[in-house]
Amino acid sequence: MKPSTVLIVDDSRVSRMLTRQFIQVRHADWVVEEAANGDEAIAKAKGLQPDLVLLDVNMPGMNGVDAAAALRTMLPKAHISLLTANIQAATRQRAEQIGVGFMEKPITAERIAQLIAPLEA
Amino acid sequence: MVRLTELEHDALVELFNIGVGQAASAMSEIVNETVTMSVPAISFLTRASAAKLLASRSTGNGRLCGISQHYSGAFETEAILMFPEEKSQEIVRLMVGEAMPLAELSAMEQEAMSEIGNILLNSCVGSLANLLGHELHGSLPDYHVGYGEEILAQAGSGETAVLMLHIEFVIERQQIAGDVAFIMDMTALHDLKQHVANFLDRSIGGAQP
Amino acid sequence: MKSSVESLPLLQGVIDCIDVGTLVLDANERVVLWNRWMDLHSGVLGAETLERSFFDLFPEQRGKRLEAAIGQALRSNLPSLLSQTLNRWPLPLYANKAAAEKGERMQQQITVTPLNLGNNERYCLIQVSDVTAAVQRENLLREQAVALRSQTLLDDLTGVANRRHFDMAIDRETRRARRMGTPLSLMMLDIDYFKAYNDHYGHQQGDACLEAVASALSTMQQRPADLFARYGGEEFAVILPDTPADAAVMMANAMCRKVRDLRIPHQASRTDERIVTISIGVAGSDNAGEVYELINAADRALYQAKACGRNRVHSI
Repeated sequence: MKPSTVLIVDDSRVSRMLTRQFIQVRHADWVVEEAANGDEAIAKAKGLQPDLVLLDVNMPGMNGVDAAAALRTMLPKAHISLLTANIQAATRQRAEQIGVGFMEKPITAERIAQLIAPLEA
Repeated sequence: MVRLTELEHDALVELFNIGVGQAASAMSEIVNETVTMSVPAISFLTRASAAKLLASRSTGNGRLCGISQHYSGAFETEAILMFPEEKSQEIVRLMVGEAMPLAELSAMEQEAMSEIGNILLNSCVGSLANLLGHELHGSLPDYHVGYGEEILAQAGSGETAVLMLHIEFVIERQQIAGDVAFIMDMTALHDLKQHVANFLDRSIGGAQP
Repeated sequence: MKSSVESLPLLQGVIDCIDVGTLVLDANERVVLWNRWMDLHSGVLGAETLERSFFDLFPEQRGKRLEAAIGQALRSNLPSLLSQTLNRWPLPLYANKAAAEKGERMQQQITVTPLNLGNNERYCLIQVSDVTAAVQRENLLREQAVALRSQTLLDDLTGVANRRHFDMAIDRETRRARRMGTPLSLMMLDIDYFKAYNDHYGHQQGDACLEAVASALSTMQQRPADLFARYGGEEFAVILPDTPADAAVMMANAMCRKVRDLRIPHQASRTDERIVTISIGVAGSDNAGEVYELINAADRALYQAKACGRNRVHSI
């Protein structure tokens, strides 16, 4: 199976490290890149063309939802998921509207496993 | 004052953001409105500096509404949620959704504010406790009004450190800024740093540069 | 707790006497204690509740704040407060049979507290207080405050806006006009030879005359932001935001006509027809920047109207 490419977008370095760890522990050969904000994510995604993008909702500057919307248009085939501790209906609906997934924080091994499952199939 | 490494600082900010995010979720259920909360910054201060900071930021008469809860167990702290007095009236009005004239905060509104403090503080501390793997014991909320200095003096007058979280609260497109102060003695502060370091060790295999 | 009497019967007695709904859930959310207050006010007897899941008894609490609070007590060891302001009538509890029949739930304040007994046994204590009386008091106070507030903006005699209302409004409108660059007009008017009217007909009739004139004129303001106010004894003022002076003059003339059409007899008047008439001074904000300048200008205009024979409009 061809190794996948993942882009992790979160302003918290610890969050990014944790997510990377949970992924690489299962797939050491996958390419995992990081971005600290929406603009950086969009810039990196152009070159990287990731198979999976995980975005924190709550970021300074461009928030995760707007970034996800932009990436959805840029990467029609990628799996894109929003991560947030604030799981209220409005954000869930917005995610559906844009056509991206939605996952609750805090980040755990089980939750990451769920998010990467579509790439493992 | 104890210094945290950049990674330890980041871990705390993220933990508190998760906590207030969950609190916002709970509050949006109550009011059926979109509620978002975030912690853009945290800082460690002496009690005197914390009081000065609160005073310097005030745009109204400087009086604050403070809801405090005491926690003990893995570490001991007095946690206080503070909003400017006139802003806390606004928050309750937004949460309750009635058109109320701007009046003295009545007993029932104080109670509503106490619940908001209870939700927020438990969420922050709960998030911290869960992720650090230790349980805490907490008290029910107490309500105070006064200047920053008075409210921070609730926890006694010993040598203390204050961990201040700046909070951005958005409801119905109104943005309101508040603060949470965790008042602790030097032992508790060291305990906290140790717990965070342990968490980083466990999760990402040791602190990295 | 210290007690010199045999504990268990005493405690049972106390729990069933206290005026607070008291229930305890075990770690699996099953009811293990249910006091008499709960019997009385929920209509559900303790015997039916014991060992049953709280959410079987109250399924509508799933997904609500109370469920989250119970979870937080049992799993995180933290207590919660449910204020009656943010959580209206969460549980089906009633003050008495009559209220139960009408379906009127009581206002409740609820606290949920973790209870740790030895042996790692954790329970959750739920206390419910009836705060209906406090809520009613608070609502009454709020209504009174609102009523009081509206009273102090109205003139007792004529029911139009009072001087305090005018002062606040002119301040606000002057600033707004300056900020938006819109025209603001002010009228000052009073009843001609009013002192003579009082002397001739008596003060009670004088009051009636004021009421009649105020009543006739105050209904002429078209827009919500226009304000007709009693400025002093027999003097009235009209604030017209977004109105240039010439439009204000037209309205002032109409007002003069309306008072003339009332045809209130005024034997002591020195105008031709011996009826109650008014004089009006009009000033526009092109002439003035500050509030006092606008008021002075309108006053000067009123003075001119008087000097020129009364029963007319003059504008600066």
